[in-house]
Amino acid sequence: MPALSSTMTEGKIVEWLKNPGDKVERGESVLVVESDKADMDVESFHDGFLASIVMPAGSSAPVGETIGLIVETEDEIASAQASASSLPPQSANQEKESSSPEVQEKKASLESSKTTIVKQAPLVPESPVSQPQFVNDGRVVASPRAKKLASQMGVDLATVRGSGPHGRIQAEDVQSAKGEPISVPWIAESNAPARIVSEIPHIEKKPVDLDKRPAEGKSFGSRGETIAFNTLQQAVNRNMEESLNTPCFRVGYSILSDELDAFYKKVKPNGVTMTALLAKAVGLTLARHPQVNAAFSSDGIAYPSQINVAVAVAMEDGGLITPVLQNADKTSLADLSLQWADLVKRARNKQLEPQEYSSGTFTLSNLGMFGVDRFDAILPPGTGAILAVGASLPKVVASNDGSISIKKQMQVNLTADHRVIYGADGAQFLKDLAYLIEKNPSCLSS
Amino acid sequence: MPESGPNSNLDLTRQLAQTSSAFLFEPKNIVPFETALCWQRNFQKNLIEQPFSPQAVWFLQHFPCYTLGRGSKKKNLLFDENKSLLPLFRIDRGGEVTHHMPGQIVGYLVFNLNLYKKDLSWYLRELEQVLIDVLNLLGIEGKRIDGLTGVWCEGQKVGSIGIGCKRWVTKHGFSLNVDCDLAGFQEIIPCGLNKVKLGKLSNWLPGIKVCDVQPLLRESVRRRFRLNWENKILD
Repeated sequence: MPALSSTMTEGKIVEWLKNPGDKVERGESVLVVESDKADMDVESFHDGFLASIVMPAGSSAPVGETIGLIVETEDEIASAQASASSLPPQSANQEKESSSPEVQEKKASLESSKTTIVKQAPLVPESPVSQPQFVNDGRVVASPRAKKLASQMGVDLATVRGSGPHGRIQAEDVQSAKGEPISVPWIAESNAPARIVSEIPHIEKKPVDLDKRPAEGKSFGSRGETIAFNTLQQAVNRNMEESLNTPCFRVGYSILSDELDAFYKKVKPNGVTMTALLAKAVGLTLARHPQVNAAFSSDGIAYPSQINVAVAVAMEDGGLITPVLQNADKTSLADLSLQWADLVKRARNKQLEPQEYSSGTFTLSNLGMFGVDRFDAILPPGTGAILAVGASLPKVVASNDGSISIKKQMQVNLTADHRVIYGADGAQFLKDLAYLIEKNPSCLSS
Repeated sequence: MPESGPNSNLDLTRQLAQTSSAFLFEPKNIVPFETALCWQRNFQKNLIEQPFSPQAVWFLQHFPCYTLGRGSKKKNLLFDENKSLLPLFRIDRGGEVTHHMPGQIVGYLVFNLNLYKKDLSWYLRELEQVLIDVLNLLGIEGKRIDGLTGVWCEGQKVGSIGIGCKRWVTKHGFSLNVDCDLAGFQEIIPCGLNKVKLGKLSNWLPGIKVCDVQPLLRESVRRRFRLNWENKILD
């Protein structure tokens, strides 16, 4: 019996979609399990035959209980049925505690090699929910915010499973360990009822107490106050103003991103982050477009010796900083990801060396995580271009043969200093970047 | 220097996982049950085969009909299954018999729970919260009843929930009685609960219409599941 939720202790078999003796293909639904008001189609993990139904439709079974047997070949059906009938339905199977398919599969095959009992593949849904109680082996890697939250909430970090790179514990992990709803910090919404401004006609009761609504977005001061800029904000201000002396232009491109997403999914388990992927893609493309990596100087166009991709990061207490991934074209994805994690951590603790945030030769600004479809960025002084990256969103796309399909698209927008980079330079750079991301994202892992 | 979002958590890549997107469909006309079922099946199938396919949400109203879950007991129908006055559908969701009709908003959600939490009980509670939040905005207190799924106001059930799931891709969703005719519920034992009393929002807010509630529901779903709508919303 698969676990359909972390709190489920038993499930009801609504219906067997297959009869004993039926052929079952991998991924095919074999039965329907109900818990509460939710139905789940349970699929087989193997090609084979449903040999025996241990728990009939209408019955309930505790999570982990064997409910049916699937065998590999038709010949094994009879012997499996014999062993199933000798198995009292209620007796706990040795596989009861574990619901991980891999583990069960191993156990089952061990068993069959030892005793020539038919191979049993317990039925579990694609990915079981229940996770064993997690305990770290003493060494705790956690983000500063997670540590702070943990001490505030009285959560022992040693018992928290980290979802970050290399098992690093994130703030969200602490919250979910404590059973708190995961809040999305910058919209201050969490569990509060949705705040909706649209007016509701025909209703006399006042629906929302305006004063009690939580504030939208963030603010660094209270109403009526003027708060002095902090050092970082002052630095940002100076840079912003300086950009007014730069003759900038913008050029945009829509990049199909299904391949990139698929590749990201593949490398994510190795701790690779989307920031690293984008930085690497930009780095590799810049290597072939030195003009876009260049900058204006009073002596002429300066071509840097390295390709250093700076990535804009908003600071929690105002201002922003652009930690730099050095030699983004030549550094491996794994190293870029590690470096990025380290840079962000030290940026948060204000421990970055100037070299680490001012040596960028090209800047990347990603607001895709907010669902922004496009925006334009202001050029940081001392560099030639900055790329604004929007969200990857499904769009209806017409292909050359006239067929219509839904594909993910990501809009990017390059802001460049026209004294150094001309329209055609920017366009060619974007075209090559799009080609890499659309057709050849696996080259990022080289 | 680039523009930047307010107060972002510094590790921006984490946040990528925190919003997802869905197509939103709000048909103006009343939709036959089987048509909406077909729409959902298409999106569910695509999501199962292609994890990056779009999710989808529908808010709509059905012509009067009854639907039964796969595990529903016939004894909860107080009439002969073959002599039903209204169309009767047996579908792949959990729960017992229910009744749809104009004046009731039906919300269908084809979501990939792999993006959220692979926990059906969590999902049911989130759907309840969506409804409770909307009621709250209307100044009505919606409640859960321990051990049951759905949303009640002053002892009357106003919101029902039933879902189906395959490879953690959901189908079906909830219904919320706004100003519908509840007479059809007398022919069945709704949700298999003998003493359940059905209610509708117009009992508390006379004159309230589906068009008043639907925008609140849409926003409540969007926020609770951190969605961006793929398509433009026309009001």
